[in-house]
Amino acid sequence: MNNSKDSIKDSVKDIFFKPRVLVVDDEVRIQNACQRLLAEEGCDVEVAENGAKGLEMIKKQHFDIILLDLMMPGMSGLEVLKDVKSHHPDTVVIIITGYATLEHSIETMKKGAFDFLSKPFSPQELRLVIGKAIEFIRTLQDIATEKSRMRVMINTLTDGVLTTDNQKRIALANPAFLKMIGCRKTSVIGHKVSEFITNSRLLDMIDQAINEPADTFAEITDEITIPFSKEKDDIIIGVRCIPFRDRLNRNLGSVTLFHDITALKKIDQLKSDFVSMVAHEIKSPLNSILMQIDVVLAGLAGELTEKQKEILQKSSNRIKSLTKLSTELLDLSKIESGLINQEREELDLVELTKSQIAFYRDQADAKSIHLTIKETKKEIWMMGNRLNMEEVMSNLISNAIRYSPNGGKITAWVDEKTDCVKITVSDTGLGIPQNELEHIFDKFFRVKNEKTRHINGTGLGLAIVKSIVDAHHGTIEVKSEVNKGTIFFIYFPKSEYTI
Amino acid sequence: MSEKQLILVVDDDPDLVEAVSMKLESLEYRVAKAYDGEEAMEKIKEEKPAMVILDVMMPRKNGWEVCNDIKNNDALKDIPVVLLTAVANSVRTTSYTHHDGKTTLADDYVPKPIDLDKLMEIIGDHCK
Repeated sequence: MNNSKDSIKDSVKDIFFKPRVLVVDDEVRIQNACQRLLAEEGCDVEVAENGAKGLEMIKKQHFDIILLDLMMPGMSGLEVLKDVKSHHPDTVVIIITGYATLEHSIETMKKGAFDFLSKPFSPQELRLVIGKAIEFIRTLQDIATEKSRMRVMINTLTDGVLTTDNQKRIALANPAFLKMIGCRKTSVIGHKVSEFITNSRLLDMIDQAINEPADTFAEITDEITIPFSKEKDDIIIGVRCIPFRDRLNRNLGSVTLFHDITALKKIDQLKSDFVSMVAHEIKSPLNSILMQIDVVLAGLAGELTEKQKEILQKSSNRIKSLTKLSTELLDLSKIESGLINQEREELDLVELTKSQIAFYRDQADAKSIHLTIKETKKEIWMMGNRLNMEEVMSNLISNAIRYSPNGGKITAWVDEKTDCVKITVSDTGLGIPQNELEHIFDKFFRVKNEKTRHINGTGLGLAIVKSIVDAHHGTIEVKSEVNKGTIFFIYFPKSEYTI
Repeated sequence: MSEKQLILVVDDDPDLVEAVSMKLESLEYRVAKAYDGEEAMEKIKEEKPAMVILDVMMPRKNGWEVCNDIKNNDALKDIPVVLLTAVANSVRTTSYTHHDGKTTLADDYVPKPIDLDKLMEIIGDHCK
């Protein structure tokens, strides 16, 4: 019995919550008993001797719990119950009854009573019922607190939040979201999303999230651009859309988060513009210097000694590697700023590979390297940017040549699988140590050891290859063994699979 | 080669023009110089060079425009034009002319940094 007593005290201990209880009963004995007992338990207790008085008091101030006798002179308990439930739905009503039949209990429960006590009842019974009621009120309060906390939090977020039910009706839309879509209305709750959102990609994402099968849980992400009127720039928003589910894994609706990435995009563009400006400004004078050195080297500005020639040749080589670096920086910044997505066309990779091999024939011959294309199919097509693809093949083949000792063997070929095309470039070169493999696509990374020391390079070639492959929705893999060779595989989706 | 042939070298970088000119003169060509597109068109009309070496990125009128003007002018269209550009690297030479779309009219193309010997070879081929 002590347990139930403790449990009430525990719930009442909460400093924020002192339950206010009204006892409506015509029997003074019960009034007094309830008042004494509940006061001991830490409740604020007031008493009304009939229904009309009780309702009057309830109108004046809020009570958390009402203990209500059914059989009273004048207004009956059931009438009081009806009135309380329609005007104060949050108030918990406990019925006190002299003849607690099952029918009666069901009747009162239907009308909204929380529980009932049958007369005569013991103090323990009263404590138990009040304890339950307090727990219930606390839970309701917790939910209300949580709701209010959530509302404040979501409304003050600078990211947009939109939740819908599974019928695509708006359940919640915070001010940041409404501002992003340029919606001035405040009452969007309950309306279909399509009434306020015109962006078809966004509607698709919500649709996709709501219809996501129960065995998957995927976040749908994309970037959308919201065009603004002439005086304002477009805003670019990163969107993440996720379904939310009940315990049985049924989709209840969607949550969509909107993060404004316009500034990030602008910074990225600035960076690319800067790199490309610097690269140009460096390239032009370097080209000019190279020409001047060439002219001097050719003896057009007077005879040179062998030593002078040697020094000028060295400086010329150094400048050439600088111009190569600036060209590659320029390429990389172009690729990163999205130029890569322009001008896609159907490409025959077999023809493209053959022409690249022909281009590098002389360089390979100079090192007695056997450079061949393995015959597969006559032609294999993909959707891509020709210059980009040439760049990819050119980088892989020229790397293979540079990192292969004299007399090596380089083979390239193109395969067709059911849903992708595969390019392979294999060499019998120096190989890449295992611990360096994961870095070879990083910008400015170069494998450095005594064997590679004399090989020129900028460390941007493979970074460019990777950027191009990514931009074409492809993947690149590499396998390598030191002193045995390296093999690169590139997979691209077939043109009919490209979205 | 009975008479010294005239080659017009056009680039907005005077140092580069000078270097190319020195090389050409050493090979017994005569050289005319221009430093932007407009000036190039004037010199072409005035002096009717045997060939034009033309930079792409220039102020006033760029190399593509000059090239199109030459090739669309019946009196000038037979003058061979070699474009110089720093935009594409050497690998792109093969597909450059038929994929850029802006012009397919240049007779040849040399990437920067210029390989002087290669440029001289090309000029030699066109000015036999």
